[in-house]
Formats: sequence, C-alpha cells, structure tokens
Amino acid sequence: MSSSAEQGTKSLLDRIGTKRMLHAYVVGVAFLEGGVLAAALGDGRVAFIGSENANAPRFVSVHDGVCLSLAVDLGGERVLTGGDDGRLVSTDTAGETTAISAIDGRWVEPIAVSMASGLRAAGFGKTVCLFARDGSAVGTFVHPNTVGGLAFDPKGRRLATAHYGGASLWWAKAGGQQPKRLAWSGSHLSLTLSPDGKDIVTAMQENELHGWRVSDGADMRMSGYPAKVRSMSWLPKGRFLATSGAEPVVCWPFHGKGGPMGKAPLDLGWGVDGVVTVVAAHPRHDVVAAGYEDGATILVQIDRPHPVLVKQPGEGAVTALAWSADGQHLALGTESGFIGRVRLSDWRAPT
Amino acid sequence: MNQIPVTVLTGYLGAGKTTLLNRILTEQHGKKYAVVVNEFGEIGIDNDLVVNADEEVFEMNNGCICCTVRGDLIRILGGLMKRQGSFDGILIETTGLADPAPVAQTFFVDEDVRRRTWLDSIVTVVDARHVVQRLEDSHEALEQIAFADVILLNKTDLVSADELAQVERRIRSINATAIIHRTQRCEVDLAAVLGRRAFDLDRILAIEPNFLSEDDHEHDDAVKSVCLRTDRPLDGARLTGWLQRMLAERGQDLLRTKGILSIAGQDKQFVVQAVHMLMEGNFTKPWDPNENRESRLVFIGRNIDGTELRQQFDACIA
Ligand SMILES: [Zn+2]
Ligand SMILES: [Zn+2]
Repeated sequence: MSSSAEQGTKSLLDRIGTKRMLHAYVVGVAFLEGGVLAAALGDGRVAFIGSENANAPRFVSVHDGVCLSLAVDLGGERVLTGGDDGRLVSTDTAGETTAISAIDGRWVEPIAVSMASGLRAAGFGKTVCLFARDGSAVGTFVHPNTVGGLAFDPKGRRLATAHYGGASLWWAKAGGQQPKRLAWSGSHLSLTLSPDGKDIVTAMQENELHGWRVSDGADMRMSGYPAKVRSMSWLPKGRFLATSGAEPVVCWPFHGKGGPMGKAPLDLGWGVDGVVTVVAAHPRHDVVAAGYEDGATILVQIDRPHPVLVKQPGEGAVTALAWSADGQHLALGTESGFIGRVRLSDWRAPT
Repeated sequence: MNQIPVTVLTGYLGAGKTTLLNRILTEQHGKKYAVVVNEFGEIGIDNDLVVNADEEVFEMNNGCICCTVRGDLIRILGGLMKRQGSFDGILIETTGLADPAPVAQTFFVDEDVRRRTWLDSIVTVVDARHVVQRLEDSHEALEQIAFADVILLNKTDLVSADELAQVERRIRSINATAIIHRTQRCEVDLAAVLGRRAFDLDRILAIEPNFLSEDDHEHDDAVKSVCLRTDRPLDGARLTGWLQRMLAERGQDLLRTKGILSIAGQDKQFVVQAVHMLMEGNFTKPWDPNENRESRLVFIGRNIDGTELRQQFDACIA
C-alpha cells in the first residue's frame, strides 16, 4: 500500500485522537462535567478516563454482573448505571458509589435522568420507579409487560415508556393515575421523545420504528430496516431523527407538517459498508456520528452525504457513542472493549 | 464474537427437571453455564449466572397465532452476551406448563440471538409413571415431547418393564427422532444431554422409521411423526416450493420439521428445519461420495396424513 493511500484513509482517531483497550464490552459512554469520560462495562465496572491521556483510567466495581445502562446523573458530575444485579447506582469520579435502589432478581435496563425536574427513572422489569435527587422513591408505574425503553419529556414532567403492545405516557408526579396508552401491536424495545416533547418514537422487534404524535395519538410508521434499530438520536431542534439499523445512516425528517409521514428519509454515509449499530447526533450542528458493526465510525453532515472517517474497522462492533455537551469531544466504545476519544475543537469538516 | 450453545430444558412438573439442572450446575465437567430459570430458589445452589425469566410470550406482527417469541429471552440473551467469555453455554429452563415453541422460535426469528447463539438441543424430562396420563390431559406435555431432541425417560425404577416399553412406544409415536435415555433420578452422562448439536439433525439419518405400528390408537389431539425418505435425488425448486406452501398453510399444526435432503445437481446436503411455519434451509457439508445419498424428512405435528405427505414428497423427486 502506498503511503499516500494510507494518508488518504487515515482516521481522525489516528490523527488527533486517543485510544484505550479496556477488554470488556462497552455498554455506554458519557462525558461528565470537567471533561471526564465515563464508560460502563460488561464486567460490571465503570471506567473514568480523564482528559489527559497519560493518566490511567480509574476503574470502579459497581455491579455484581453486567452494567446494562449508563446515563449522566443529576448535577452532571456522576454516572447513573443499571445492572443485572438488580441495582441502580450513582457513582462519582472518585469511585464513591451510592445504591439508589436494589431489587433482587430483576435487571435494571432502561434508565433516564431529567436535569430539568431532578428526577431519575429506572425500569425494573414491568415496574418503573422514579427517584428524587435525595434518592427517595417518588413514583411507581406498573406495566402489563417488561419496559424496554423510557424517556422524560423536556421539562421532566412526563415519562414515556415502551413495552409490548405500545407505549405509555405518565405524569411524573401524580399518584394513582392511569397512563395515556399509545397502542400498536408488537414488541417495542426502546423509546425516544423529540426535544420538543411532541413526538414519541419506539424501535420495534420487527426492524421498524413506530411513532405517535403526543397531541392526538396519530400513528407514524417508519419501516424498511434490514436490522433492528438499536440506536436513535435527535439532531438539533429535533429536525431529524438519526437511526441505526441500515447501511446508510437513516434520518427521518420531523420538521414541517406531518413529520416523517409520506416523506423519504435522508440516507447519509454512502460508501461505508456494513450495518450502522450506533448513532449520536451532535448537540449543536447537523452532524451525526455513526458506528458500524465492523467497528468503523464516521462523522457525516446532513447536507453532505460523504462521511469523514473517525475510526477504521476493527475491535468489534461499535456499541457506544457520545458527544460532550459542548460538542467538542466525541467518544466511542466497542464490544471488545476499545475506547476512542477525539477532540474536535480544532477540526473543520472538509468543504 | 463466538457463538454460544444453548440447551433448552423442558418437562412437566415433578418429572425431575430441577434434579437435572442441579446436576449440571454442581458436577465437575469443566464447563460453566449461565442459567435462565423461571423461579428463583428452585435450584439449590448459588450461581451468579442465574437469571430469572418472565416467560413473556409475544406474538409477532404477522397476525399469526403460532408465530410467537419469548421477548424476555431476547433481552436476557442480549444481556448475557455482554459478559464476554465468562461462561461456555446457556441453559434455559421453561416452566412445566410452557409450550416450547416460543422458545425455539426465538432462535429462528431474532437476528441478534441468531448471531450470538445457536440452539444446541431441546431436552425434555419425562416421568415414566405419569407421562401417559399427562399426555391425555395436558396439551403442553404433548408439545414438550414433540419438540424434544433428547428425552430423559425418568423414574424408570417406578414402573414395570412392560409399562416402560409401552410408555416408550407412546413417546416414539409422537416424536420419532428424539434420542431417548432411560434414567433414574436423571442419572445420565451429561455429555448425552449437553453439547449435542442436536439441531444439526445429522442423526436423522440413523433413525429407524418402522417403529410406528398401525394399530396405535388415535387421540383427539394426536401428535405424531411422519418420516419420509427416498434414495432418488430431489428437485430443489419443487421441494422448497412444496415445503414453503406446506408450512404457510399447515404451520400451526406442524410442530417441528427436520430433514437432510439430497438435491439433484448439488454436492452438499440440504438441511431443513422448521418450528411451526418458521423455516431455515441451508446447504451444509458435502455428501460422502461413498455413502448412499438418502433423503430423510420428518414432520412432527397434528392432523398430518402420512399417505398424502408421501405422495407430495414423491412428486418432488427429480
Ligand atoms: Zn404462525
Ligand atoms: Zn389424546
């Protein structure tokens, strides 16, 4: 191979990034206040990686088993993780852990945090519990089936949950309520709410998305995926919903009348082979980071279908992607335990 | 990422399933298993890889009542796969009242499950004393035998030799292809139960199909096996067309279909397996040039007519 060809395909990670191998499935990554990167791992540990590459990560054993989920906890300086040991735990970068809840024999998989209302939600099988800032349980919502995904609305006043047969919409602080049921037959595996709180979208067992307009419950079907959609991410202002599960990055238009209905999605990232496993939209710009089943990772812009290579293939499927709140740092993790981190502040997309 | 073998353990209440599970978990066999159980506490030992299942059976979106999967299992297997290298296999225990079809169909339907695991075998534990009665009053007991790759005919010390032969004949009339082990207290070499690759169907070639006696009495919901074979090569297009039509039209009655087939013009064996209407067919290993290329196809199901199936099968001969 010629050196110019190598130059041409050199990834951002090779040029301006840092890499680590943690040797455990990366379940999730997230940036905390102060630039510390947190990674939840398949061996039950959480790794905190400082912005200085020379420092070794701090590993904290959090779950007796697998970390199943990761979110930035209230205040932005801790992580909240759910595990297959039935525990919901808040951990700080010094390694101090606080168990918020533990239900023996249950898996804690879907979790969500609302900075706006100071609430955390976690699914323990069919039951979703809400916890206040001090850790006290302030709500319990029981469903007919296991809850696969959940999300707060922008103000953190309502909570949407996905399960077999559809989605449910609850008021976060009301007792004894009946939820608003959004019915659609089939198994709904995960859920996202648009940034304006007006649309709910679930990913289904049947390789498709289902959406509801919250105001009138109108249905939206988004199908045609060759694989399950495991990851969904809203572009700024909720104009597009970027999704995994296909070869290009599929972005459904939610701006304009009728949302995505009757419109074709944007396909981004042509020229990259394999199925997209994770997507993460930039917090400010119309840019999507996408990870693939072969470990490749790209950045792609809405109006420029040709991608920029962030990571070469290898190290197993990409399982986690996250932007820092200011959009200057991107982190990724793979199923074999690779962690990559790129600082994009000096980088400009080629025009 | 390596594929992990999965063994499904079924059996009516009291047949001895828990005894077998405890044996697998406590005996030294150099392998570590993750166990998916339906009741915590039933197994007596502490194993950090025991997972509680909810048996959530979900209908698929095609509107067909037989097309069901275990939603909880898809989730559990996904979670277990994040514990890389910490176990060698997965055991799934189902409740005594469970129909095995949703479990088996999960391995056909879900792409993530298929990518990470393979269904090694369905093992059914049967109580020699009570199974005949169970078959009369329990739909599920019947399905558990019909679905089995391996059957432990347990508690044989509690019946006479005549009774045992009768029980075994009844089991055989339902499921012609399962391997039957006669046991007491589930005492069987675990190698006969685990790591069988039973779903690979190789051993169909070894089945003696003449055991079905004509005078077997028919039950209202009779489940039986029909074994078809031929030495003449089959027409690939006609065969798959027929199988697809059969499974689409009769899939609810057909519990399991398995076959190793010789297709005209092909050097490799065509291996077919189906659970209800979900079918998988692949060309696998080459036929041994020195062996007789005999095609064998077995249907296990309700309301199936051996004569009619034989005619349709023969019509696929090239
Ligand atoms: Zn069906
Ligand atoms: Zn009967």
